[in-house]
Amino acid sequence: MTRSLGAKIVAIFLGASLVAACGSDSDDGDSGTTGGKVELSFWAWAPNIEKVIDKWNAANPDIHVTLSRQAGGGDIVTKLLTAHKAGNPPDLAQVEYQSLPTLVSNDVLADIAKETGDTKGKFADGVWQQVTLGTDAVYGIPQDAGPMMLYYRTDLFQQYGLTVPKTWEEFAQTARTVRTKAPKQYLTTFSAKDPGWFAGLAQQAGAAWWGVSGDSWKVSINDAATKKVADYWGGLVGEGAIDDQPMYTPEWNKALNDGTLLAWPSAIWGPGVLEGNAPDTKGKWAMAPLPQWTAGESKTGNWGGSSTGVTAKSKNQSAAVKFATWMNTDAAATELLIKEAAIYPAARDAQASPALAQPPAFFPAQTDFYATAKQIAEGAAGVTWGPNVNVTYQVYQDAFGKAITQKSAFGAAVDEMQAATVSDMQKNGFKVAS
Amino acid sequence: MAVVTSRRGRRTAAPYAFLAPAVLLFSLFILLPVGYTAYLSLRKVQVKGLGLGRGARSEVFAGLENYQRAIADSQLWSGALRVLLYGLLLLPIMLGLALLFALLLDRPRVGLRRFSRISIFMPYAVPAVIASMLWGFLYLPAMSPLNYVLDKLGLPEPNLLSPGSVLFSIVNIAVWGGVGFNMIILYTSLRAISPEIYESARIDGCSELQIALRIKIPLLIPAIVMTTVFSLIVTVQVFSEPLTVRSLTTSVTSTWTPLMKVYRDAFAADDLYSAAATSILLAAITLVLSFGFLRFVQRRAFGEDR
Amino acid sequence: MTSTPARRPRPAFLPTAILLIGAVYCLLPVAWVVAASTKAGSTLFTSFTFAPSGSFFDNMGDLSDYGGGIYWRWMINTALYAGLGAALSAGLSGLSGYTLAKYRFTGRSVIFNVLLAGVLVPGIVLAIPQYLMLAKVGLTNTYWSVLLPSIVSPYGIYLARIYAAAAVPDTVVEAARVDGASEFRIFRTVALPMMVPGMITVFLVQFVAIWNNFLLPFIMLADDKKFPVTLGLYTLLNRGATEPALYSLVITGALLSMIPLVAVFLALQRYWRVDLLSGAVKA
Repeated sequence: MTRSLGAKIVAIFLGASLVAACGSDSDDGDSGTTGGKVELSFWAWAPNIEKVIDKWNAANPDIHVTLSRQAGGGDIVTKLLTAHKAGNPPDLAQVEYQSLPTLVSNDVLADIAKETGDTKGKFADGVWQQVTLGTDAVYGIPQDAGPMMLYYRTDLFQQYGLTVPKTWEEFAQTARTVRTKAPKQYLTTFSAKDPGWFAGLAQQAGAAWWGVSGDSWKVSINDAATKKVADYWGGLVGEGAIDDQPMYTPEWNKALNDGTLLAWPSAIWGPGVLEGNAPDTKGKWAMAPLPQWTAGESKTGNWGGSSTGVTAKSKNQSAAVKFATWMNTDAAATELLIKEAAIYPAARDAQASPALAQPPAFFPAQTDFYATAKQIAEGAAGVTWGPNVNVTYQVYQDAFGKAITQKSAFGAAVDEMQAATVSDMQKNGFKVAS
Repeated sequence: MAVVTSRRGRRTAAPYAFLAPAVLLFSLFILLPVGYTAYLSLRKVQVKGLGLGRGARSEVFAGLENYQRAIADSQLWSGALRVLLYGLLLLPIMLGLALLFALLLDRPRVGLRRFSRISIFMPYAVPAVIASMLWGFLYLPAMSPLNYVLDKLGLPEPNLLSPGSVLFSIVNIAVWGGVGFNMIILYTSLRAISPEIYESARIDGCSELQIALRIKIPLLIPAIVMTTVFSLIVTVQVFSEPLTVRSLTTSVTSTWTPLMKVYRDAFAADDLYSAAATSILLAAITLVLSFGFLRFVQRRAFGEDR
Repeated sequence: MTSTPARRPRPAFLPTAILLIGAVYCLLPVAWVVAASTKAGSTLFTSFTFAPSGSFFDNMGDLSDYGGGIYWRWMINTALYAGLGAALSAGLSGLSGYTLAKYRFTGRSVIFNVLLAGVLVPGIVLAIPQYLMLAKVGLTNTYWSVLLPSIVSPYGIYLARIYAAAAVPDTVVEAARVDGASEFRIFRTVALPMMVPGMITVFLVQFVAIWNNFLLPFIMLADDKKFPVTLGLYTLLNRGATEPALYSLVITGALLSMIPLVAVFLALQRYWRVDLLSGAVKA
């Protein structure tokens, strides 16, 4: 190392002038085939995912996967983009669905349609759509899904004589009732920090933020459905019927734990979060479908969920696809994912896995938890994500944060998201249909 | 004769040889990156159609477009204004306290001197990210001891993270982190002054306060100028504190300070080019500010230098 | 640093009180970490902030177990990055500062001014191009990628120059030359020993700077086995949003990470010349 360092420093000097000129192809990658053995590097953040990898490595001595643990979904995109520019991305990466177009648009991910074969049939159409971006290509193997549902405190609902709201109108009424019966408590909170949460709620109402028509993008973040959702929550926050603190802060944990918040519209992975954030409330929660906009419907949106993508610069794409497919569809692998990584698998068969026969440990009383969840998941809307979700999400945080602190209309925040998203796309030369 | 020339030859070559490693590393890791940033600031990415599929993106020359956009960006300027306010609060408070503590430490008849000195200096050893975490937890209404006490007394509880107060809360983190270091610098300067200078004043019956105001502070001016310049540079680059606090509140936007905007553009929005233009602009402003300040001070304080 | 030995006059009340208030203010968040590190994850955010509890050793155990003891690896990495980086930096600054102070040569002031202007460049501006350049030669995600950019410190060179000018008399250098010593030998055996306190100061300043620099390792490193402790704690904190049990690890980790730095300062404080930083040492 030390000896070659001098040479490398010289190379930096020489190389630096070249960096500017050639943005892409550099082939000093360290992964590759060594004596018939394939080495794959994999970036992921799911907890305990190394246990799944260990299982693969034990069974496949000629395709060895090495995990590099990352901080989280947003960070991984940043690092993938930088690593791609620098020419040394990993072979595989865990990627949230909404980040796929950003990465595809930057050539980071490979189109693996040829390698996937019959894998498509193992997933629900709405899920598969998220990895094809509505094209003929395939940019990843779906790993987990995040159908949204409502979590609520059974004990407190009983104490205040509340029934589980079936529609959003009932939900609003319930929120007001909570305020009159317990002035220090709230039914729930509106978080200006979690755009993915709001996106899921908007999807439920029928919002389609991005769409493709021909060779141009359609952007309609401020469509009627989204406005309806924004105005609804804005109204509740405005009249003080619900809280407006962000989620995922110690303060919020405390509010969940001590009963300041009675309910949480969240996703399938909610129990794991509650278990960690509000340990004192074990057994006090129950899960129900999300309230509906029209009584009798059974629609929901997705919050979160991720896929396993293969990078365009990987030298062992077919081996990488083999591993990604195994990890996300094989019965033994998905069972490990469920048990160890607390992941709700996207693959149909895996959703009927024996590992899901028992309710989550934090919800011991709700024995039909996963059966109900599977039913709810059927009603999840399909989504097309755009190439600059990151920009949209950032504006969500800023605009809704401002709307809350200035007590202004939420509808305007949605308009701001639309304007910023479109102008960013146009600035970069994307064709946007008006 | 021959010996002398060869020795002189070695002597003229020596400084260049000695400086070579520093110049090399400096060029590699500072000059070259700055140049590269300047280059990037003149480029942008052009996308075709949907922007999906291979080769849909290409990098093209953008001229001064990125700069024009940066200058026209109201977020950047409101961020800059905020940092200005932040600096106007931070610098006097932090340096004022540092000066006060230094003068008190240097004063005779002070108890627990060593304990106070080490305690006040200690925050220097805490990285800004961790310091902001600690204070951030303490600001949260449900956890804040201040709110706890006020609640017990039945008084109204302020929200230290509300949009109106978060700036002050962040100033507080910076004061906490910076006051000790500056205090130590000023204190050491004070100790370097020969005590005889104010011994006679003391005999003449001057109070410690008078000595501090009339003798010590004027002698400290060069050290105060130095600490101000370095604090100024750090202030303009404020970043870690608001970024960390941001995870606890909606009051801090992603473009709260100019450097946060650079970070957002480069990382969250994947627009290296705008980020490069903004950072070049910022570096230029920093340069002008610090040199301007030095010039100003030199003229006022050292103009009549003997 | 202590006051007169034999007859200790009664301390003046007001100055002592003001200093103590300052000290309490500075210790407040530290007291909080200490208290918080003794709480179990479940009571971290529910019990009164400063009331300690008895879970410190449990937290320590959890922290050590996490990821197969990776926390200690982060500590070792940090010691390596900050310790070795600062040592190399102090050496380089010493040589450069001595040269700039003791030689008259063409280009001296140009080189010095350009180096000094480097102080003004924000780290964020540098991090991305540095990454792209190091990636070209395959050095990203290595220890070198964090060490190399940390070695050159404009501020360190500036400090070393001031110190060399004040601490190394021209006459001594001349005398050594007359004795026939080579230029490098003069630096190593004559000048360097005189500059030791200044070098320690540069070492400490750089140590803190590297320790504080979060962005560089964040961008350069992908492999968590190479992380410094700040970056490691950051990833834990980030994941704490969904796994709050990690918060107590973060807090315990933050407390432990402060100890070595404070220890280094206390151990070296006798040698470190702060007057250098204030410009009180006249060039």
